[in-house]
Parts: sequence; structure tokens; C-alpha cells
Amino acid sequence: MPAATQAPAPPRRRQEPRAPTGRRRRPGDLWPYLLIAPAVAGGVFLLLYPLLRAATISFQRFRMGELIRGGAELAGLDNYRELLAAEEFWTVTLRTFAWTAVNVVLIVGISTAVALMLARLGRRMRVALMSALALVWATPVIAATTIFQWLFQSELGVVNWLLVGLGLDSFQGYSWFADGRAMFGVLVALVVWQSVPFAALTLYAGLTTIPAELYESARIDGGTGRQIFTRVTFPILRPMFALITSLEVIWVFKCFPQIWVLSQGGPGNATTTLPVYAFKVARVLHRYDLGSAVAMLTVAVLAVALVGNLRRMLRQEGAES
Amino acid sequence: MKHRLLTAAAALTLAATAACGSGSGGGSAAPASTGPAELTVWIMDGSVTDELAKRFETGYETAHRGVDLDIQIQAWDGIGERVTAALASTDAPDVIEVGNTQVAQYAASGGVKDLTDKVPDLAGSDWIPGLAQPGNIDGRQYGIPWYAANRVVVYNKELFAKAGIEAPPKTRDEWLEITAKLDKGGTQGIYLTGQTWYALAGFIWDEGGDLAVKEGDRWKGALDTPQALAGMDFYRRLQALGKGPKDADEANPPQHEVFAQGKVAQMINVPGGAARVLEVEPGMKDKMGFFPIPGKTADKPGAVFTGGSDLIIPEASKNPEAAYEVVKALAGEEFQTDLAKTMNFVPNRASLAHVLDADEGTAAMARGAAAGRATPNTPNWAAVEATSVIKQYMTAVLTGKDPATEARKASESITTTLNSGS
Amino acid sequence: MRAGGIALNAAAAAVLVVMIFPVYWMFATAFKPAAEIQAETPSLWPAHPTLEHFAAAVGADGFWTFWRNSLAVTGAAVLLALAVSLLSAFAVARMRWRGRGAFIVMVFAAQMAPWEALLVPMFIIARDTELLDSLAMLTGVYFMITLPFTIVTLRGFLAAIPVEVEEAALVDGCTRPAAFRRVVFPLLAPGLMATSLFGFITAWNEFAFVNVLIIKDQDKRTLPVWLSSFRDVFGTDWGATMAAATLFALPVLLVFLFLQRRVGAGMITGAVKG
Repeated sequence: MPAATQAPAPPRRRQEPRAPTGRRRRPGDLWPYLLIAPAVAGGVFLLLYPLLRAATISFQRFRMGELIRGGAELAGLDNYRELLAAEEFWTVTLRTFAWTAVNVVLIVGISTAVALMLARLGRRMRVALMSALALVWATPVIAATTIFQWLFQSELGVVNWLLVGLGLDSFQGYSWFADGRAMFGVLVALVVWQSVPFAALTLYAGLTTIPAELYESARIDGGTGRQIFTRVTFPILRPMFALITSLEVIWVFKCFPQIWVLSQGGPGNATTTLPVYAFKVARVLHRYDLGSAVAMLTVAVLAVALVGNLRRMLRQEGAES
Repeated sequence: MKHRLLTAAAALTLAATAACGSGSGGGSAAPASTGPAELTVWIMDGSVTDELAKRFETGYETAHRGVDLDIQIQAWDGIGERVTAALASTDAPDVIEVGNTQVAQYAASGGVKDLTDKVPDLAGSDWIPGLAQPGNIDGRQYGIPWYAANRVVVYNKELFAKAGIEAPPKTRDEWLEITAKLDKGGTQGIYLTGQTWYALAGFIWDEGGDLAVKEGDRWKGALDTPQALAGMDFYRRLQALGKGPKDADEANPPQHEVFAQGKVAQMINVPGGAARVLEVEPGMKDKMGFFPIPGKTADKPGAVFTGGSDLIIPEASKNPEAAYEVVKALAGEEFQTDLAKTMNFVPNRASLAHVLDADEGTAAMARGAAAGRATPNTPNWAAVEATSVIKQYMTAVLTGKDPATEARKASESITTTLNSGS
Repeated sequence: MRAGGIALNAAAAAVLVVMIFPVYWMFATAFKPAAEIQAETPSLWPAHPTLEHFAAAVGADGFWTFWRNSLAVTGAAVLLALAVSLLSAFAVARMRWRGRGAFIVMVFAAQMAPWEALLVPMFIIARDTELLDSLAMLTGVYFMITLPFTIVTLRGFLAAIPVEVEEAALVDGCTRPAAFRRVVFPLLAPGLMATSLFGFITAWNEFAFVNVLIIKDQDKRTLPVWLSSFRDVFGTDWGATMAAATLFALPVLLVFLFLQRRVGAGMITGAVKG
């Protein structure tokens, strides 16, 4: 998914909307349902319906011929069976987990550090840093991806020049895009670079809501900086950390345009994650059936990973309404 | 699902039958074949120059009143997806150029018009074989041969003279020797990118190997045979005698642009590549020479991949009759002669081969063509190309990975792709 | 403490440089003449700034057409998403009803939608409804891609506006629509702008759907498709490529700068505080 990835959905506020007092509606009032009707209609026709078609395809024999001629036949669970039997699928799944873990840990870690840093900086430096973060955040994914191709270019790229300048002569003309690990590293750098601004700014906003008195009393009690973070800051911001982490997990897991434009999942299959794999299988090999099956399993994996979060959300929202 | 598709198919048939009589927009009653208003033609980047496309368009529109020809030049990147989507749509481009290694899969998909009964009209008995055969499935002709080309070595005469080399090499050993001699100072002996896979294919064929072989009714990737490894080893030694990037193919950057700067002694390209060099640097005009890719022995040139293109008419074309007229013009004697002369391609008919006689580049190509070969003959081959597995294998070896291990991995991947059914 | 302050500022400066450098390098490269770009030792800023790369990018085939298409599709999708999600956000933030919790969870879950897997179904749907080669279909898809987080974000902004403000207006004799228009809407304006920026960035970037939904009528392609295949357009001309990337990023950055001045630094974070 494109930069939906980059758009922040705000964490739930800690106090939910005060119960609307003046205009309490009778149960069974139609208004709220009328108000959400357009959104629901959009969701049904433009998301649910295509999703069901994709699910259907995953149970059919659906390849180039069927796409062109029509008349796809049911294939039962054949696609899933083929997929689960293929060693490649498991490799890709594991790689996707590793990809997600590395990125999310880096993003959350760096963002926390930057947020704490922001909270302590003088005004001028803080505004400068925040503006820089905002600028990066607003740089479109495709532009950013193009920039990274140029930064890491083997002959004229500035990264190689810098590394050689630092005395690492082996980087003279080094092809970042030819080696699996190097490519993986470049992609991580790109995704982390793009994701840190949102997470850092959001966490910083959270930090500013913590009353100064809490810190002071902690300091009076003789807490070190580290203790203050683990005993005061983190517990208060825990819901925010949880939300940012789960959003980043979704976005990184599903991250597609960066990988596709930069490496197309290569070299070899070194940077093929599940979304890239699904796309490759479908669009390059014309195995639309198998590609759909990959996508369905991807959604399932993601849903399982986040089910706790979703349930907690339902419980909280339910309690409030 | 099924129902919807059937409806679509029915609509499609209706559209196809109605198309003869309807203009693209209005459905006004124009008589058959004389011409619905607008025809879209997809031609691949590099097949024609802008000027040649313009010339054909103007000429055709003058000869066919009321026809508006829209020639769209297509980029190679992602072309497989676009052509598939076009074939599956209800209003496809009317004529599409497809590579001769790709045409089989499209023909097999059922989205391409069967032109078997038009073959005599197009002088099919005169077609050169390398193009007609991939466009033919089970005796039905779907792809109409358009042009062929195979690679030769384009060299810089000035740099050769400076290095004291008088005659082009006749064998591979000589080739390595003179290239090493040329690769001095600011001059690159040869500009060979790491992923020029059809050049590798030629070296492998010379050794007696192949990219994939058929065993019974299963295909098997064959990059890990000793012959294929020997071919790769030769590629590696040759590639080292210049600064071609190891992780890119000849389109990134376009090698004719690099060659045009005058610091590269040789490149492997179709003779038409020379025309593109001149577009960039007219001063190269009298400096370019050509020789066939050397073989292992002096008596036989190196094996080369015969590339080329076919023309297809999608079933979903709304104007199949008019589209056929365009195909006929593109495949006809007049345009073929123009194409061969302008682009230095081999025309689709054997009887037109004489057009190339006068040109040094195409003469070298014709000599090399004697050892022309095709990629493994299966509709799935296109998928192997699309996964770039061969290119990635080459980069791996050139950047120092173990050839045997990498070749085994690549071969396994090719085996899987070729047997995956489509 | 003083040494700590210096270290802190130094660290902040380092982060700032690392973050900003790629964007800066794009601008710098776009203004450098070819000779400087290809120099063995890259120079930190263009010694002889030139606009030739911008001329090359703008002069490339179809640039303005694609630019216009992108703007039209993105703009329409964002406005539509904004209108629709404003209604939903209002229902979620200001009303209590059965199914509200489920609705919120569905909206959150919709962000997990595997859009790449929907390319083929969308293609089939568009084909069967005669919507191939139509910008309307593309607009619909972008609307849906941006809708879920637009709802979530707007709801946050809306909930941050105290109900009492609205009630006071009602007491003063405003009708409810009037109260919303005169009182809530102005307060919500920054939130609406911020949200529209989020949507804008997403839709502005999308390119996979263009490739399957726009087939024959190539004049309807959009800017990111063009940029993502820049090698076909510019070859190795990195100057022109960076100029093109700059022109691509520019609308978003401009909108962003404009909004930031209007809305203040809390823009991004506004939705978060509640």
C-alpha cells in the first residue's frame, strides 16, 4: 500500500469523547446510521466486494487464460495446498517477519530517542528538528525511493563516496543493489528514514502531555534518567506505544512500493516479502490464483498478529458507547 | 463470478461482431473495413525511430481516408502486465508488437486473433522461420512475423587503429586477447553489462550447453551443466575487460549512449544500435565497424540469440478488420524495406534479404545469423525472463559468488517456473 | 549540565542532518549541471546552478498531462473522502449507537486491506462495468484507500472540540446545522486540512492501480507511474530524474508548508493529543 503507510492515524485519546450531553439520542435513532451509510457503502463496493472476488479467485484455477477468456473453474484448496507445500513460501514468510521485526524495532527505538531528545531541546533547535522531520514525512514515497536509488548508485552515488572518504576503500564502485544483504539494508534504511518522523512526532506530542510535576517528584525521589523513563514515561505512554507499534507493524509488513521500485524483490529473492511475493506470482507469472491465495494468507497472518489489539479496541470502544 | 465473466465474454463477442460496422465512439454506420475512425498501435521502444513511426502514420492515413492511427511507443518495463491487461480488456489496442519469446504465451491464452486464413495474403510462404514458428500454436498462426535481428560486435575503428589492431578477431581467444589490449588507460576494451543474458546464452550454446532442456515432458534449467558454466566463465573474463556495471542490463544506462562517448572500443548490440549511437553523437558516423560474435574456432561464428518481434491483433480489438489492414501494411514489402534500411533489421521475408547487402553492419549480422538460435520453445519461457533469474545469476557470479552454487539455484528456479503451467 | 547540553544539541544536529540530507541531495542534484553530477568528487552544493534539468523534466513527453491527471484524481478522491468521513466521524465522535464499536474496529481493520491483491479483481470489475481507462474508477479506488484513516484522524480532531462550544451556539438560537457551520467547522478547519494532506500524500503516490486500470488511453496515466519508470524516460540522466522527483514532491511540500504556517506546528500532532 502506498503512503497510506505514512499517514498517521492518531492514537486513541486517553479520555474518550465526553458523553454528548445535550443531544443524547434515543436508541434506534436512524441518524448515526445515515451518517455512516456513505462510508459503509464505499467500503462494501470498493473494498469488501473486490476482496470477496480475490478470495474466490484463490479457490479457482485462474491464470492468464482465465483472465482473458473467463470461465474459471473451482479448484478447491489446490492453490493453498501448492503454496503451503512450496518451500519458498515459508522462506518468504520468515523473511517477512524478520523484515517487520527489524524495521519496527528500529523505528520505535529511534523514534523514542528522538522524541525524548525533542522534549529536552531548546526552542530553536526543537523547531528546526521538527521541521526537518515534517519535511521528510511529507516527501512522497516514490520521490524518496528515487532519491535512495541515486544516493546508493554504485559509481556516482554519494554514499559510496562518503564511505571511501572514511577510508573504507572496498566501497569504491560497490554495487549495493547486487548483494542480497546490502539491498535489504538499503531498504531498511529507506523505510526507517521515512517512518521515524511520524512516530517521533506522535510520541513527542504524547510526552508533552505528561505533567512536569511527575518528573520532578521522580527526580526528587532520586530516580536516574533511565529509571524515570521506565517508571514514569513509559507506563503513561504505554497505550500510545502499543498503538504506534501495531500501526508500524501493519505498515511495514504490507510495505510494497519501496521494495518493488527499488529491488523488485531481488537480487535473488533476498528482499521478497509476502506482498511482493503475491504481486510477483500474480503479475509476473500470471498465477492470479496463487497470488490471491498468498494475499489471503497474508491478511490472516496479520489479523492473527493483531487480534489482541483489535479485541482490546472493541472492548474499550464498546464500553464507551 | 462465472456469470459475470460469461456476460463479459458475450459482450465481447457482440462488440467484436459489431465492431466492423461501428466507429470507435459513435457507432455511426460506416461501411465495413473502409475504416472506423481510430486505431491504436503499440510498438516497442527501440523498434522504430520517431521519424519512421511518423512516416508510416502519415503515409497510412493518407492512403486510408478516415483512419486515425495512434502509434504508442511502449516501454519494456512491465510490458507483460500491460499486454495481458490489454488482451483481457474489452477495448484493446488494435495491433500490438510482442517479442518473439513472448508471443507463444499470449497466443496460448486465447486472447489473440487467429490469422491462419490470412497467411497466404501476407506471403506467409516467404517468411523467415525464426519468427513465424513462435507465433504458431498447434498449426494456427496468431503472431505475424515483423522483423528479426541478432547481435553483432559494434566496434570503434579509431580505438582499434590506435591499439594497432588491424583485423577483427576470428576466435574467442583472439577476441579476449585484443580486448585486453584495448582495455588501457581511459579506454574500455568492451562495454558489457553484467546482465546481458542473451550474450551469455550465445556463449553457452557455443560450448554445447543450453539454458533449459526438455526431459520427457518436463523442462529442466540447465545453467549448472559444465558447458553452461564454461560459457559463464568466458562471459566473466570478457566482462572484466571494461567498466560495464555488473548489476544492470544494457538498457540501464542505454549502452549506445555510453558507446557514443567514444571511450568504449566494443559493445554487443544489434546493428541498428549504431543508428541510435548516431542519434546521440553524429560524429561517430565513419568510426563504427561491425563483426560477428567470434566462435570457438575460426571457421564458425559464435551462436547468437535470434531476437525479433511479431504483430498480434487482440480478440478484444474493436476494429479487427481495419487492424488487419494495418498489420498487412506493417508486414508488407514497402514498409519492411523501409524498416530494414532505417533500423538495420532483418525483414520478415526471405526475398527481401537483399535489402541489407550494402550495409556492413547487417552483413555481419547475416553472417552471424547462420548460427542463430532461439530460447527454449515453451510458452512459460516468458515467465523465466520476467523473473530475471538469469540476470541475477550473472550478477551473483560476476560479483564473486561461487558459480556452481549460484548456477544450481538459478537452474532450480528455472525448472520450477517452466513446469508451473499457465 | 552544560556539557550535556552541548552533547544533546550535537546529537540533535546529527539527527537533523541525517534526516534532511536525502531531500537536500535531491534538490542539490536537480540544480547541478551534468559535469558536476558526474564529477569524481561530489560537491556539496551546486557551484553553477542550472535549470536545464527542470526544463528537461517538464519538457518530457506528457509531463503536464500526467501532472494534471494526478492533481485531478488526487484532489477529487481527497475531497470525496473528506466529505464522507466527516459524516462518519461525526457519528462516531458525537453520537452513541449500537454497532459503534464494531464500526470503529472495522475502520481500523480496513487499513490492513491487501490492496496489491485487489488489482486483478478491480481490473475485472472495471472491465465488466466499462470503467477501464476512466479516471473516475481510479478516483473511486483512491477514495477507498484514503477513507479509513481519514475517518480515524477526523474523528480525533472532532472529539477534541468540546461539545459545550456547540451547545452554547444552540442556546444562542442557532439551528444545529448552523451551529456546526459557524462554530464547529472553523475549529475543525485545521484538522480538515491536516487530514486532507494525509490523504493527498497517499493518493498522490499510488501507481500500481494506474497500470491495470489505464490501458489503452495512455494520456490518462499519472505522475508516479511516469516517475517510477523514469529510467525509460531519462536513462541515466540523474539530474533530470532528481528534477522530476523534485517536481513530484513539490506540490505536497508546498501544501504542507502552507498548512503548517496556517495551522501551526501542532498540525501533525493535533490529532493525537485529544
